[in-house]
Amino acid sequence: MKTGMKTGMRTGTRTRLQDWLARFGLDTLTNRTILLMLIGIGVVHIASLHAYQIALDREATIAADARLADRLLTIKRAVMRVVPAEREPVAHELSGGPIEAHWSRTEHAVSGGPGSAEWESLRARLQELAPELTGGQIIIGANRKLENDPHLALISLQLPDESWVNVSVFSRLTPPSTNHGTVLSTSLMALGVIGFAILLVRWMTRPLQTFAAAAQRLYRGSDQARVPEDGPREVRELAIAFNEMQARIKRLIDDRTHALAAVSHDLKTPITRLRLKTEGLGDAALAASVRADLAEMEEMLDQTLAYLRGERIDEDMRPLDLGALVQTLVDDASDAGSRISFSPAPRLVLEGRPLALKRAIGNLIDNALKYGGCAHVTLGLEAANARLVIDDDGPGIPPEQRELAFEPFRRLEPSRNRETGGFGLGLTIARTILNGHGGTIALANREAGGLSVSVTLPLKAAAGS
Amino acid sequence: MIQASPLSQRPARILIVDDDGQIRQLLAGFLKENGLDVALARDGVDMRAAMAAERFDLIVLDLMLPGTGGLELCRELRRDSAVPVIMLTARSDDTDRIVGLEVGADDYLAKPFNPRELLARIKAVLRRTGTSEPAAARRGFAFDGWRADVLRRELVNPQGVLVDVSGGEFDLLLAFLESPNRVLSRDWLLEVARNRTADVFDRSIDVLVSRLRRKIEQGGDGSEVIKTVRGAGYLFMPKVMRA
Repeated sequence: MKTGMKTGMRTGTRTRLQDWLARFGLDTLTNRTILLMLIGIGVVHIASLHAYQIALDREATIAADARLADRLLTIKRAVMRVVPAEREPVAHELSGGPIEAHWSRTEHAVSGGPGSAEWESLRARLQELAPELTGGQIIIGANRKLENDPHLALISLQLPDESWVNVSVFSRLTPPSTNHGTVLSTSLMALGVIGFAILLVRWMTRPLQTFAAAAQRLYRGSDQARVPEDGPREVRELAIAFNEMQARIKRLIDDRTHALAAVSHDLKTPITRLRLKTEGLGDAALAASVRADLAEMEEMLDQTLAYLRGERIDEDMRPLDLGALVQTLVDDASDAGSRISFSPAPRLVLEGRPLALKRAIGNLIDNALKYGGCAHVTLGLEAANARLVIDDDGPGIPPEQRELAFEPFRRLEPSRNRETGGFGLGLTIARTILNGHGGTIALANREAGGLSVSVTLPLKAAAGS
Repeated sequence: MIQASPLSQRPARILIVDDDGQIRQLLAGFLKENGLDVALARDGVDMRAAMAAERFDLIVLDLMLPGTGGLELCRELRRDSAVPVIMLTARSDDTDRIVGLEVGADDYLAKPFNPRELLARIKAVLRRTGTSEPAAARRGFAFDGWRADVLRRELVNPQGVLVDVSGGEFDLLLAFLESPNRVLSRDWLLEVARNRTADVFDRSIDVLVSRLRRKIEQGGDGSEVIKTVRGAGYLFMPKVMRA
């Protein structure tokens, strides 16, 4: 809830980046660490596999080229050895696999072609393996582009008698490299590392949760918010520093609260004297005006003390008649000459702290009278809640300022001058008290003009409050 | 004009115990002006001396006193005296201690108090103690299942639900509870309600009665609790017990 010294833990204002991260579940340290490790391991993994693959491919290409060169040589020699009439059958016989050889008088291959650069290594290989081959011309025509043509290349080798052996190559003689084993083993290793990382991060961030919980308890005003000073040295030092900081904050708050409370209490004696002195004043109008000022001072002191008390509960929950309580407040305001109307409900009994509720609702009525000039109070039943609406005919509060209105010592208006009195604790106190009863308070502008304050209070007290 | 203990016609004698000299003097002046006879004490020592010398009808006792504190003094004098005590407090949590510890005070008032309210409380306590009952027996009333706690100024209905009443309404109810089954005139009731706050001064007693009726007659069996007696005043119908 809550809200300064108010209810609930604040999640803070989140940036768009944080929102975006949260949407993908990357809000926690654990998840972020896991993601970073996944990315890191993935990149290294892919890069090393890639490098390994390139090396492997190069080896395979060299081996394939050597094999292809061997076969070309074998074909050429076999064809050379027989008479021309038998050359074509021999060439055909030696075909097979990805190779198809033919003998003819003319060369079929056309030098160049798309992707021909890939075959230069083969040419070099052929020259290296069988220098005598180079005696004749080698024409390598690559055929990469024509996709419906299964030929990868057409190689024409010139025989000494100016005839040619034309070899069609359908596929490189590269055996498919099967790296599944490598991928599997490295992936398993990565998974192991990630699993271990999750455990590690969980273990290391656990103290952080303890700190968060402790900070939250301190915020709620509990005295026992110390975190255990154990664990690794860094955590231990953090815990000690945290506990010291906590003690300092608590001391600071206590000192200031006590100082303010003491001043407030001490002011009561001079106010009492002044009140007694007004009884001796001959001028009735002056006496009334001084009394009004004194009443205002008293009210400020009471509000300050109520605010300082905050969520400290020193009043017991007990069944009370909400209608009678509101009726008293309305009658008092009416007696003081205020324009106030009340639509009561049939008996509404709820568990509450009578003095606190009276202060909260009294503050709301006072605000309506002060800033709105009048108050229309409606009490009703809505589901399992009592619903109290206080309308006024004032200027209302612009939507963007409504949350500000609940902040302590905040007076919204420049237009609302000092004449209206009060110093900005009324709504803060009201909300603290109502929230403490499991209730809610909302501000809205009325269509007809003016502010509408809606309060809901559960008829059955919220457990634990 | 002030009715002290009904047995005597002399003005009631009040002892004010407060360590603040100005408050003491001012309060004494104010109460004397309103027909009370006042003696002063600045602490427990003074108070004991004054008590030994004469008999008081009521003691106004400040809680924050040098030396022996007000709570202790109240307990002390309650041991051998039924003299009514109104305590003055400056801290809200003190009221809880007065009520909770049952030190024997008859009423209490938080500083800064309205002098007229103190006067009204003094008169109310004097009225109640006129019956010379033990101190503990004058702090509560019961009627028709309702309970009125004088010290806490609380009204609880037969279902145990706290029904909030204003100070004026509670004073009026007390007046009825002190004199049940007797017709009380508007003048008498006005006298009771008067001086409580400046605002109530001119407030018609009829309005107060109707407000009180609305709170204690609703949800009941529909029977009249406060009966209007034409031309005479009001009559509180239920049987009242001190509790």
